Amino acid sequence: MPTPDDERFEIYLKQFHPLVPDPMPTEGRGQASRRSFVLRAWFAAVAAILIVAAIGLHIRSNRVAAPNTAIEAASPVVPLQPLTMRSANALLATAPSFKAVVDGLAFRSESLTLPKGEQSALAVLGKEKIKL
Amino acid sequence: MHRHRRNTAEIEFLYRQHGSALLLFALAITGERGRAQDAIHQVFLKLIENGSLSQAVDKKAYLFACVRNAVLNEGKRDDRNTQLEPDSVWFIPPDRDYARERNLRRALGVLPDDQREAIVLHVWGELTFSQIGDLMGISSNTAASRYRYALAKLRDAMFAKENFCANS
Repeated sequence: MPTPDDERFEIYLKQFHPLVPDPMPTEGRGQASRRSFVLRAWFAAVAAILIVAAIGLHIRSNRVAAPNTAIEAASPVVPLQPLTMRSANALLATAPSFKAVVDGLAFRSESLTLPKGEQSALAVLGKEKIKL
Repeated sequence: MHRHRRNTAEIEFLYRQHGSALLLFALAITGERGRAQDAIHQVFLKLIENGSLSQAVDKKAYLFACVRNAVLNEGKRDDRNTQLEPDSVWFIPPDRDYARERNLRRALGVLPDDQREAIVLHVWGELTFSQIGDLMGISSNTAASRYRYALAKLRDAMFAKENFCANS
C-alpha cells in the first residue's frame, strides 16, 4: 500500500522534468524538403513572370510593327516617286479621303527606295560625326 | 503514401508526447546521453520505416519496450550497475536548483538497474504496475513491490544527502 509519504515524495519527484530529446532526424529532413519546395516555387514563379513578360514584349512589338504594314497595304496607289504638285493633285483626285492622302504622303518617305549607286543625303548626314 | 504520411505524423506526435520520458528511461539504463538519444532515434526511425506501431494495442508501453530492447540489444550493457556520466544532466529541476538535480541523479544511480527502471517507468513514464510488469517480464505485484522498495531507498538517499549538505 502506498503511504502518504510515498505520495508526497512522488509529487516531489515529478517536479523534476526530464530533458526534452533532440528533434527526430525526419523532422529536419521534412523542414529541409519544405524549404527546398519553397525555393523551387519561387524559382518557378520568377520563371513564369519572365516568360509572361517576354511574351508580352513580343506581342507589343508586333503590334507596333503592324500599323506600318497596314498603311503600306492601305496605300498601294501611292506611287514611289518624288513628291511634286502634280503628283499631290493626282493623289487628291484619286484618294477616298483627304486623311488617306495625308497619311500616304506622311509615310511614303519611309518606303522610298533609292536607285542603285545613290544614297539619301539625310542618311549620310546622320552617319557623319560633325565636330563643331 | 497517404497512410504512410499519417503513420509518420502519429509517430512524430508520440515522440513529442513521450520523448522526454523515453529519453530518461534510456538514460536510466545506459547512463549516457548520447547512447540514450541514439536508441530513441533508432526506435522511432524503425517505427516510421516499418509502420508497425499501428498494430500495437498499448502504444505507450510498446514504445518503452522498444526503447528498452534497443538499448539492451546493443550488447554494450553488462550485469554490473550502470556507470552514470557525472556531468550529464537528466532533469530540469524546480527553481533551476541543479544541486538538487545532481542529488536526485546520484540517488538514482545508487539504485540497482531494475529498481531504477521501475522508478522511472512509474514516476516519469506514468506506466501502471501491470504495464511495468509486462515490460520487465515480471508480475504486476513484483513490479509494485520493487517500486516501493526503490522509492524508499531513493528517498533515504536523497534526504540523507540533502541533510548532509545542509549540515555541512
